[in-house]
Amino acid sequence: MASEHAALLKESVTDFATRATDVARARALRGTVQEYDRSLWRQMAELGWLGVTLPERYGGMALGVTEAAIVAEGLARVLAPEPFTASIVLAGGVLAASGNEALKDELLPRVVAGEQVPALAWQETAGALDAGHIMARATPFEGGFRLNGTKRYVAGAAGADVYVVAARSDAGVVLACVEGSAAGVSVELERLADGRNFGTLTLNDALVPHERVAASGEAAAAALGRALDHATAVASAELYGVMSRALEMSVDYMKTRVQFGRPIGSFQALQHRAVDLYIQQQLASAALQDGLRELDQEPVAARRSSIASRIKARCSEAGLRIAREAIQIHGAIGFTDAYDAGLYLKRALVLAAWLGNATQHRRRYAALAFKGE
Amino acid sequence: MTVHESGDYNALPDDEFRSQVRSFFQVRYPEDLRFLLRRVRMSEVRGWWNTLHEKGWIAPNWPREWGGMGLDAGKMVIFLEEIERHGIARAADQGITQVGPILMKYGTQAQKDHYLPRTRSGEIIWCQGYSEPNAGSDLANLQTSAIIEGEHFVVNGQKIWTSFAHEATHIYLLVRTDKDAKKQKGISFLLVDLNTPGITIRPIRNIAGHEEFCEVFFDDVHVPREALVGQLNDGWSVAKALLGFERLNIGSPRRPQYALMRLEMLARANGWFDDTGFLDRFTAIKLDLEDLASLYSRYIEQVKRGEPLGQDVSSLKIWAMEAWQRLTDMLVEAGAEDGVIEGAHDVAGVEIDFLSPFYYARPATIYGGSSEIQRNILSKYVLELPS
Repeated sequence: MASEHAALLKESVTDFATRATDVARARALRGTVQEYDRSLWRQMAELGWLGVTLPERYGGMALGVTEAAIVAEGLARVLAPEPFTASIVLAGGVLAASGNEALKDELLPRVVAGEQVPALAWQETAGALDAGHIMARATPFEGGFRLNGTKRYVAGAAGADVYVVAARSDAGVVLACVEGSAAGVSVELERLADGRNFGTLTLNDALVPHERVAASGEAAAAALGRALDHATAVASAELYGVMSRALEMSVDYMKTRVQFGRPIGSFQALQHRAVDLYIQQQLASAALQDGLRELDQEPVAARRSSIASRIKARCSEAGLRIAREAIQIHGAIGFTDAYDAGLYLKRALVLAAWLGNATQHRRRYAALAFKGE
Repeated sequence: MTVHESGDYNALPDDEFRSQVRSFFQVRYPEDLRFLLRRVRMSEVRGWWNTLHEKGWIAPNWPREWGGMGLDAGKMVIFLEEIERHGIARAADQGITQVGPILMKYGTQAQKDHYLPRTRSGEIIWCQGYSEPNAGSDLANLQTSAIIEGEHFVVNGQKIWTSFAHEATHIYLLVRTDKDAKKQKGISFLLVDLNTPGITIRPIRNIAGHEEFCEVFFDDVHVPREALVGQLNDGWSVAKALLGFERLNIGSPRRPQYALMRLEMLARANGWFDDTGFLDRFTAIKLDLEDLASLYSRYIEQVKRGEPLGQDVSSLKIWAMEAWQRLTDMLVEAGAEDGVIEGAHDVAGVEIDFLSPFYYARPATIYGGSSEIQRNILSKYVLELPS
């Protein structure tokens, strides 16, 4: 049954990626303030994708991380800038796992419909992989919390309608929803290599009533940990989409580009280089498939993080390597802004760094595997 | 219902079959032959061969009519996994893995009747006569000739890198039977008794100090015409039929487990996991092997579904062998001066042999089609790059 869903979804994503969007659209949207296309976002909602992992009571499809990864990979192949992983898997995932039912009833159906786009403002320090580093304060006052601090590297911030902010209170992590326009909240954007943005949220005595607190304490930490691991896995699937397309472009180019009177793909030095990239792609594919399957069985937190780290380490490394070598295989044309290979490299750069790069994830994997005993 | 009564292993649930195989191996396999860091000699495992033969398990891949276990692909994978898991040495089993399946597909009734029972019992031990001094990676360039004279082939030439020829009774040979045909077209497949006059076997010592492979010389060796398997000049297709499964088998992620376990034990004993430099390198290799396991299990699933393996399985062999080498390189380096002392010794309370795994892994990127040849295969058949 699960694989049947997966096959149908894959077909629908492939169809969408060829019919509704292309790399030229991604190119045109880079560096713009809106970052992505709201009308396309609503088309994705109509296809049900914005609720792919969310419960049916909110209009979602209640499928697994595997299916979310299918959507993300398909969009990534054509560099679609819609913030599916950041807003649906990460921010939506945190909201769905939180305990404030009234807030979920209000927000999630609108998220699934594409009317409200959330972003998660959890991180403060570059390279952080979990909530342990959070310093932003949530101070209780009559009726809610007063938030102070700076949240950085907020993916999907440019087009977000609501931010889920993680801050620390004496009772642990608090996850609270704030609007960008609220008093005491300011949002600034930082341009990324791929033409998208990270947001920086400055919270200066921003007041949040209890009704807008999604979760706190243990429940908040658990919701955050799970959503981060799932988003890490889905971002890895995006990297897989990027590397697959970059490899296809390179191999196609090797078949058609003629030098010394022969296609350059006939030269063994380049052939073996391409084969090594293919092997990396195969490893990424196999690790991803195994990892996603296990994540959907809801393993305990430590195991879940270990799987997410294994996948992200491989996909980040393989994705960057394949995208870098795509430039080399294409030669000078690959280094031009007009050619698409550069767009794939830049997307790989951002995806590899976001939610933890290969080195950071290998270290977390090691900490879970070797340090615990 | 026990297996003994029905004889149909495929009817057993997987878990039940696995536990039967596992407990048999645990009880009957000699403890001192587990996880050997070199290829095992036939003389060492003759007893184990007999044990398997008596049990009816010596030929898991053969159909039951020929005394095999008749395992389907799924059960076969379980059987092999348990072999690897217990660290069982693969005895000179090319007769079981190669000659048997080849004869069943291409052999005459007389060949099957004569060779299959004797191969199973271990009365006949086979070695593989493919490589020659000028036909290594370019195997189709082989020059050992077989000329028909009356009722015989007369074989002249030289084979090399023939593993355990000095312990075998028979050799299966690729020979040139048509000098004028295009490379692959003029090759035939012969079965030859090593006691035939005119054959000289000379062992070659390898860098690990072991005599595992040999040179085999053929000087006017008269081989009966019935020794031909398949059609004359069609030996290349006969030999090629089994290559995919070999690359899958070689790609098993369990092979590097001795080196990995020892390195991990050493690291714990010495506190190396607190050293970020070590930790980063070790974890990278550990994950290389984890991801290998995922890739391997994907091919295993394919085999279980009854689908043929494509040429893409070469990527498994390349990655498995190269990751294994990286691991054994790191083991030697981690040992520092201890790492270059021969034999097993005690380091920080861990009994360890640094050099044997290192040597053992060296030829892995050469035999069974070198890593470079595997890359050529992937380039041509999978990426479809021009030649």
